Amino acid sequence: MRKHLVSLVVFSLALFMLLPAAVVFASSTKEEAPKKPAPVEKAPEPEKPKPKPEQIFVFGSSGDAVRLDPADVTDGESIQRMDNIFEGLVEYKSGSTEIKPCLATSWEMSNNGTEIVFNLRRGVKFHDGTDFNADAVVFSFARQYDPNHPFNQYGEWAYWGYMFYDVDHMEKIDDYTVKLVLKRPNASIMTSLAMFTTCIVSPSNAQKWGEDAFSHPAGTGPFKFVEWVKDDHITLAANDNYWRERPRLDKVIFRVIPDPSARLLALEVGEVHGIEYPNPADFDRIRSNSDLNLMSEPGMNIGYMAMNTGFGYKDKNKNGKRDSDEKLEKTPGYYEPLTKQKVRQAIQYAIDKKSIVDNLYMGTASVAKNGMPPFMIGYNNAVQDYTYDPDMAKKLLKEAGYPKGFEVTLHVMPVSRPYMFDPPAVGEAIQSYLGAVGIKVNFYQVDWGTYLQETESGMHQMCMLGWTGDNGDPDNFMNVLYGPNSASIGSAGNYAFYSDLEAQKYLDAALLTYDVEERAKNYKKVQEMLHDFAGWVYIAHANQSLVFNKKVKGYVLHPTSRKFFYPVYVE
Amino acid sequence: MPGKPLAISSRNYLFRRFTDNRSALFGLCILVMLVLCAVFADFIAPNDPNPTPPDLAIKLKPGFWSEEGVEGMPLGTDALGRCVLSRIIYGTRVSLSAGLVAVGIAMILGICFGTLAGFFGGAVDSVIMRFVDIMFAFPALLLAIVIVAVIGQGLDKAMVAIGIVYTPQMARIIRSSVLYIKEMEYIEVQQAIGSSRLRVIFRHVIPNSIAPVIVYGTLMLATAILDCAALGFLGLGAQPPTPEWGAMLAKSYSYIVSGAWWAATFPGLAILFSVLGLNLLGDGLRDILDPRLKQ
Repeated sequence: MRKHLVSLVVFSLALFMLLPAAVVFASSTKEEAPKKPAPVEKAPEPEKPKPKPEQIFVFGSSGDAVRLDPADVTDGESIQRMDNIFEGLVEYKSGSTEIKPCLATSWEMSNNGTEIVFNLRRGVKFHDGTDFNADAVVFSFARQYDPNHPFNQYGEWAYWGYMFYDVDHMEKIDDYTVKLVLKRPNASIMTSLAMFTTCIVSPSNAQKWGEDAFSHPAGTGPFKFVEWVKDDHITLAANDNYWRERPRLDKVIFRVIPDPSARLLALEVGEVHGIEYPNPADFDRIRSNSDLNLMSEPGMNIGYMAMNTGFGYKDKNKNGKRDSDEKLEKTPGYYEPLTKQKVRQAIQYAIDKKSIVDNLYMGTASVAKNGMPPFMIGYNNAVQDYTYDPDMAKKLLKEAGYPKGFEVTLHVMPVSRPYMFDPPAVGEAIQSYLGAVGIKVNFYQVDWGTYLQETESGMHQMCMLGWTGDNGDPDNFMNVLYGPNSASIGSAGNYAFYSDLEAQKYLDAALLTYDVEERAKNYKKVQEMLHDFAGWVYIAHANQSLVFNKKVKGYVLHPTSRKFFYPVYVE
Repeated sequence: MPGKPLAISSRNYLFRRFTDNRSALFGLCILVMLVLCAVFADFIAPNDPNPTPPDLAIKLKPGFWSEEGVEGMPLGTDALGRCVLSRIIYGTRVSLSAGLVAVGIAMILGICFGTLAGFFGGAVDSVIMRFVDIMFAFPALLLAIVIVAVIGQGLDKAMVAIGIVYTPQMARIIRSSVLYIKEMEYIEVQQAIGSSRLRVIFRHVIPNSIAPVIVYGTLMLATAILDCAALGFLGLGAQPPTPEWGAMLAKSYSYIVSGAWWAATFPGLAILFSVLGLNLLGDGLRDILDPRLKQ
């Protein structure tokens, strides 16, 4: 706590001192901006003169990218840039989480599903001119899992720990064949390979830039990186040597506009061609504007409030599993009332989720009763959700020994996320609902980085969070968010610290088999157990919505909210 | 008017000067209204500012000017279906008390440091005044944000932060008038008859140098309310569900584009009028109390 305060102060002071520098910088970039892209425009012209004007597509993002190394990003903003620069061995079909060949032309699974041999596409070049081959694939994987790899030190590789811990190694067979070896069968591995984490990066580019490679990306994708002006924009240009047809867009610019109203206004006046996260309150205004096109579909996500049930474990050897010598211990945010199932159930009964979804999500979401989206394999529709029943809540509180209620602190997210557009408003509604049954809720807000750090360390009593699916596999929800293995203090994904080892058995069994029916059965069982445990108030599955100018054609929403601009063109 | 004595008692004279000053009167009226709102909020406000459980279904409804409005919500509702008018009325209590506490802290600290520096002079004066100079180098709001970052967020902390930020200004004003008072003959007399320094300071120096503090304090109250609202706007001041004007503004401004202008506009107007009123009053007081401005 103290540490982050001190760093905040230092940061603020540093910011203050940097202000004049920033002003100078800003004014200088303004002058340079029109000049810089010029050489890029000119380069392709002598080869094939284009009578048509340049196709430029400007996208209004809600924030800037953090890094531009696909294996080392976790946030949606960085990922949407990555998805247009890099490609993996396999990729998702348009608008679905089924996979199809990409940089690998075919693959074969053998040895009980623990070895996968990939045949690689020939004649593909990275943006820096290097050939794509088996060495590049091995490089992209090995730097993440091998601590002795010279490039391992340049990243955190967070997603490798979340999703690829079953991978043993990747080996080269010949120049265009590689073999992925798993420690044990993993039913979600193929869909996971279509994630940004396993995108193939150019080894020679990584060598050239070393620790700065994260800001100089070079992949094989439809667009190549041109420039990054921090907190302002990132420019990509069409890759003329793309192995598929050249993209129709000549340039893609991601502009950072944090305020949703400002984003919409920029779209209305034509400064940008598309925006993300429109404010649900503006939907009527958007629909009534014939120049705009609102695209919306159920998102693969969950927004919830988690109650810290008090006991997690410290993952000393960082293997992502709770070993027998890793005992349960109190989390820093241990709070007696929340350790009681009846209190948690009372809180479930006290919150009117339907009203929150109807009025605060303004109908752009559906009420959640399980921790994963309804369209996924293994969703348990038989679970009966807690209804809104304040009297029942008061009764349960009395039975639990808190007839007069208690005081509790709620961590409230400071930023808008795809699964929760306005967290402070939802937090205030929850505060008000719980106030009605005698539970006084105190607000606690910190900056987003600290928020994640504190909740991962279990310092919260109650917190609001959510998840957007990465690969369309139920394991990506059930194990990451609710699995006892993720109840590790310091790197928790299971923010209620649900630690029933029996549930982990079902989750493991679901991953070890490739039989879909069998997997679904296991996940359904765990959802029942989670419902009784009542550690999470599942609030909503939010729709994902993007708004485009009507002239923009060809965009297809993807369930994971990833943004692929390759097929897009401007009329 | 012949026959009447020219000499008017000083109290009557000040009172007439005040009533002649229209803008000061206007300021005073606003202040009185604010105080009444703050004290009698429980009776004036038509609704509970924080109803539990919330009635989310009536969120962002317009007020009396529209047919879509909800009965009993004259200025409409905010994003959580709460009465904007009631929240503004309760917000008066929050803003006024925050401003008063902040200015109070600044006055107490300012008087201590200012008197020390002015009365003792020399090294004490240099040290305190150089420190004050350093504090002046930071923009007030930025400094307040830094202090809040150190001591934590919340309305009480915000008051302390603003109080600390305003201390140097107070200290300077006190110091200058102490420097002036210190040289007066009656102080010399006191020292000559052997009064203790403490007695001189508390009985004679401070009471005589307090007049500018009152004027300046009134003006400062306005900026304190504004800064408090700014901290609330940034989420560093009052925490939900406290109905604080700045926080109300911050939570509602994104709905202006979608047509619900009232939720942000009225708290904004409340800030505007209270700051305006206090500024007018402060200016008026200065005109009246400053002997050099007598006609």
